[in-house]
Amino acid sequence: MNRRSFAGFVAPSVLAMLLLILLPLLGTAWLSLHESYVKTELAEVQTSVPLFGGMSRVEVRRVPQAVRDAAGIPVRVWNFVGLDNYANVLSLDRLRQALVTLSDATPGWGWQFYRDVTSIEFWGALEFSLLYIAATTPCVLLLGFAIALAVDATSRRVRGALIFASLLPFIITPVVGALSIYWLFLDNAVVNAALQGLGFAKFYFLSGAVPIRALIVLYGVWHATPFAFVVLYAGLQTLPQDALEAALVDGATAWQRLRFVIVPHLAPLFAFVGLIHVMDAYRVFEPVLVFGSNLYANSLQYMTYRILNSEDNYSKAAAASLLTVLGIVVLLIPILRRLWRERQAA
Amino acid sequence: MKARLSIVRSSARSGFLALWVLAAAFPFAWMALISLRTPVDAFAQPPKLFAPVTFAHFYQIWVVDGFWHQAINSLVVTVGTVGVSLSIGCLAAYALARYRGAAGFWLLMVALVFRAMPHVVLLTAYKPAFFQLGLWDRYETLIVVLVAINQPFTIWMLRSFFVNIPAELDEAALVDGCTRLQAFWRVIMPVMWPGVITAGLFSFLLAYNDYLISSQLMNGDHMTMTAALSNYMNANDDAVKLLNGIAGAVSVCIPLIFLILFFQRQIVAGLVQGAVKG
Repeated sequence: MNRRSFAGFVAPSVLAMLLLILLPLLGTAWLSLHESYVKTELAEVQTSVPLFGGMSRVEVRRVPQAVRDAAGIPVRVWNFVGLDNYANVLSLDRLRQALVTLSDATPGWGWQFYRDVTSIEFWGALEFSLLYIAATTPCVLLLGFAIALAVDATSRRVRGALIFASLLPFIITPVVGALSIYWLFLDNAVVNAALQGLGFAKFYFLSGAVPIRALIVLYGVWHATPFAFVVLYAGLQTLPQDALEAALVDGATAWQRLRFVIVPHLAPLFAFVGLIHVMDAYRVFEPVLVFGSNLYANSLQYMTYRILNSEDNYSKAAAASLLTVLGIVVLLIPILRRLWRERQAA
Repeated sequence: MKARLSIVRSSARSGFLALWVLAAAFPFAWMALISLRTPVDAFAQPPKLFAPVTFAHFYQIWVVDGFWHQAINSLVVTVGTVGVSLSIGCLAAYALARYRGAAGFWLLMVALVFRAMPHVVLLTAYKPAFFQLGLWDRYETLIVVLVAINQPFTIWMLRSFFVNIPAELDEAALVDGCTRLQAFWRVIMPVMWPGVITAGLFSFLLAYNDYLISSQLMNGDHMTMTAALSNYMNANDDAVKLLNGIAGAVSVCIPLIFLILFFQRQIVAGLVQGAVKG
């Protein structure tokens, strides 16, 4: 295919990505370096205050009012502020303060410093995003692999039904999936009723950072495991049969076959699933929205969403966004480098 | 001895699978069960497995609250997104599968970075821009945005299907006097349908499952079903409202369950495709 027809074929898709991904990204970068406010002026307002007997007194007050342009729309002023928005998101001043308290080395200062830093919104969001990645990734891979092995060993007749049920948590809308788990753990809902039925005390799952974080991780594992299962199950269908038979003839135990034949064969798939999961986990949003409040658990994407909606501060949200993108680039560098090397080799 | 061990092993396996299926399906099953009950039965202590059935919550949200508006919105937005995504995605993916130059490689790399981007990053720019341009709260805007966000994933997936189609096929067509476009449309597309269906399913899922973009760019009446669920969230202290929300969530699930029933094979193929073909 020559260059010109290539350009013609990709044009609509590239145009869509340029206009709605690249341009907004640049716009976000611009926003993050600026600060805006509605221009105001002091206007004199006359009011007549009624006194007694039909008399009144005229009062003149000076009130700040929005300056409006010809069309009556308030004029917004944009100021270049450099990296101020970033300093604001990162809370550099509070970070410095935490460092200052660090200097009087009392027992447990490390923990105290960690608590101080993660109580800042950005660092707390980063902390939980990373915790979420670290906690879910191994669970997703191990559980998915275990299910793949188990399904692979069952009779063919039930496999279809097993795959159907397994796909549910992955395919069904994440908000709905998160809500369905959330509703199970309400104070008066089925999990608590079951706990009480078994003679345990009532447990308030939704009123503390630790149980809420655990539930979000539980949701993450539940949601992403089907993907790992399906990919690894497909990998099991392509096992080299001769190597397995050779291992059997040599008297290898089931564990040895798993360890020395099956796992090495599936290694690229583990890497693939792991990478995709890390990428998706990094932008976790729905379970934090459903379970949380940013008090108990926060994620980078949820934090930006909150700044955008509650604080209504586009510039700060833009700075938070770009810091998030920076993380993505760091995460992706190993993959990009590998693809580049593969291309060089080819 | 050996037979005994294998019985133990296979029953452990069945137990494990039963546990997983229960974990995977129970939250949805329980939600569906509860949505058909009166508040008293739904939160009875201890929980009841059987209770009288009522459709009051579905009636409330679909008829009284007008959830059918949102269902129509979801239909318009998903059909629009899938149609546009596939049309421009197939063209680009075909070219990416056949072109050998460096530009193709760089395009794929950039698409990979875009694919990993949290959507809220783009939303930060969309919000002020669309407001200024008066593009707020319109189907076209939402569709075009979802198409663009979806493109990186779509072209990667479609490309992996096009790569599997032998290049000799288009070369033969070109020798016979077809233009590139004719070769693409008359020779390649007819054998591409499995790939198109699979990529279409995933575009559908993205558009249908999206909460963030739809809830932010659209106002109440124009939201999709998924985004409209936000109206029913955080209503834990009001059992009736909570149950209406559960009925809404069940309604959102139903089309997806049919989707899995009919297209299980294609969904699995799509998930696996990326793994084997990069």
